[in-house]
Amino acid sequence: MNAAAKNREPKQNIFNSKRVRARVLQNIWRNRYIYLMVIPVIIYFVLLKYMPMWFLRSAFYDYKLLKGFDSKFVGLKWFERLFTNPNLMTYIGNTLKLNFAALVLLFPAPLVFALALKELRSKRFMKTVQTISYLPHFVSTVVLVSMISTICSPDYGTLAKIAKMLGTKPISFMTIPEYFVPVSVVSGFWQSVGWESVIFYSTLMGIDQVLYEAAKIDGANRWQQILHVSLPGVANTFVLLLIMHVGQMLNVNFEKVYLMQNNLNLSASEMLPTFTYKTGMESHNYGYATAAGLFNSVVSVALVYIANAISRKVGETSLF
Amino acid sequence: MMAQTTMKKRRKNGDFIRRSTGDKIADAILNVTMFLMLCFILYPLLNMFSISLSNEYAVLRADVTFYPIGFNPQAYDLIFKSQDLWRSFGNSIFVAAAGCVLSLIGLCIAAYPLAFGHFYGKRFYSLFILFTMWFNGGIIPQFLTIRELGLYNTHWALILNVLLSAYNIVIVRSYFQSIPLEIVESAHIDGANDFLILFKLIIPLSKPVLATVAMWIIVGHWNDYLNPLMFLSDRENYTLQMILKELVLNAESSIHNISMTGTKQTSGAVALGQQTRNAVLVVAMVPMLIVFPFVQRYFVSGVMLGSVKG
Repeated sequence: MNAAAKNREPKQNIFNSKRVRARVLQNIWRNRYIYLMVIPVIIYFVLLKYMPMWFLRSAFYDYKLLKGFDSKFVGLKWFERLFTNPNLMTYIGNTLKLNFAALVLLFPAPLVFALALKELRSKRFMKTVQTISYLPHFVSTVVLVSMISTICSPDYGTLAKIAKMLGTKPISFMTIPEYFVPVSVVSGFWQSVGWESVIFYSTLMGIDQVLYEAAKIDGANRWQQILHVSLPGVANTFVLLLIMHVGQMLNVNFEKVYLMQNNLNLSASEMLPTFTYKTGMESHNYGYATAAGLFNSVVSVALVYIANAISRKVGETSLF
Repeated sequence: MMAQTTMKKRRKNGDFIRRSTGDKIADAILNVTMFLMLCFILYPLLNMFSISLSNEYAVLRADVTFYPIGFNPQAYDLIFKSQDLWRSFGNSIFVAAAGCVLSLIGLCIAAYPLAFGHFYGKRFYSLFILFTMWFNGGIIPQFLTIRELGLYNTHWALILNVLLSAYNIVIVRSYFQSIPLEIVESAHIDGANDFLILFKLIIPLSKPVLATVAMWIIVGHWNDYLNPLMFLSDRENYTLQMILKELVLNAESSIHNISMTGTKQTSGAVALGQQTRNAVLVVAMVPMLIVFPFVQRYFVSGVMLGSVKG
């Protein structure tokens, strides 16, 4: 907001005199249409965004759908059960394993892809590659997982075919826990590399051409130009996005994990969000599920804040 | 890696007009790499499409790769008769269309007071919205809320659950703020009320941001699986992704079992299953492919909008 708008904002002790009160009422009357816009939005937010927060209470109840909050109050029972759950560490470990692999292997990929795009000489080829690389972003998780299971199928999948050609036994990627993370990461690469390169690509395009000219005059070849002009130019964006990813270490793409899960790979694919979903929606233990979900989001929020604090310390960039 | 080039030689002949051998090799390697990348990205999509159109034995032998072998559109015949699929298709279109229109109207109404209003309670209003950007109840409380509101097993649950998000409001508000304030003020002086200003002046000026947000909402609704899974219980109401999951992924294990027994007849059935499943996926992707060229020019602006949030 600019300074003029600030001046018009109400002063502190407004209800001092009749005149001021009249002015307040006048202001409210003048803004009646604004209030007419604000009120439905507030109602929406109360009903659909704040009511779920109110329902977080169910973590302290043995919540039954029919009884609502007349259900038995159980205090910290569900949290106790969660923290004594021998699998809790496995769930968190699985999440961290998946996200760490994604961070190390996937995070730099869009940057490399954007750099490569920029170096392509044929602009038409560049545009084609770029446009097609966006496509997977629009593929739904259900379709993505179906594709994975088709290609990875040990009977009729392409990978099985390649294995046969090489004379090895086809591997059933979807049912062996050890392959859960690699399959997720490769499919994640396929789906997101093009889309996530957009931000790097537009940052690269925003670098002043003069810098490249200067580098050329100083005798820098293309490789050196990338190293000394392009990379420093995207460094800030890179760090900012990196922090965001680190902060989201405990968030998982629920749909993908849930759909890729089966009884055989459960030891690698069960994570807190899927556990939460199953406890609530499949076993109908809403109280326990809410407690697990609450725990997950508390740790997530803490991670985001820690990541942000570190970034504020280390560099000038921070998210908020 | 880029080979070291002899810069002297290149500059003597003018910039980049005659490229050195090293540079040419580097370009060639880059082009080949990017071409392979292109194949990698296209392969799963082409493979899906090809399998849906192939002869069953070619599918079983996993011969089908980039193009159909032994053209056989039977699978499409089969799924065009499937009532489930078309009904869910209709449901998804309804949810995406209604959700998109309502969200856009809602977002504009929510963002207008933030951008142009000077009213008591503005700071509260702004915090009230922003708070939900950092904190939310999570999926189970969301489910309980939807039940409490009586929206369970209706399409309104899907639409209302994501109608307004703090993130989208902030993005629309930022765009509104880039519109000169004088426009709004002079309209006020001319006696227009805020609704009139919003719908006649501001919205027509905000087409780029609204198009970008509309794209996000439509794609989000079309591809959503978690919300329908939680909020819908009747098959009648299922959206496309739910039916897809049922037709394609649930079938996986049973088909797998059949193929193990391996008699000739069942293996024919298995192959057709494969084709049908892939045909279903192709049909499900068609709307996205139609939308794709139109929304493409908003990609970059969308990402930029996302990066200036807050």
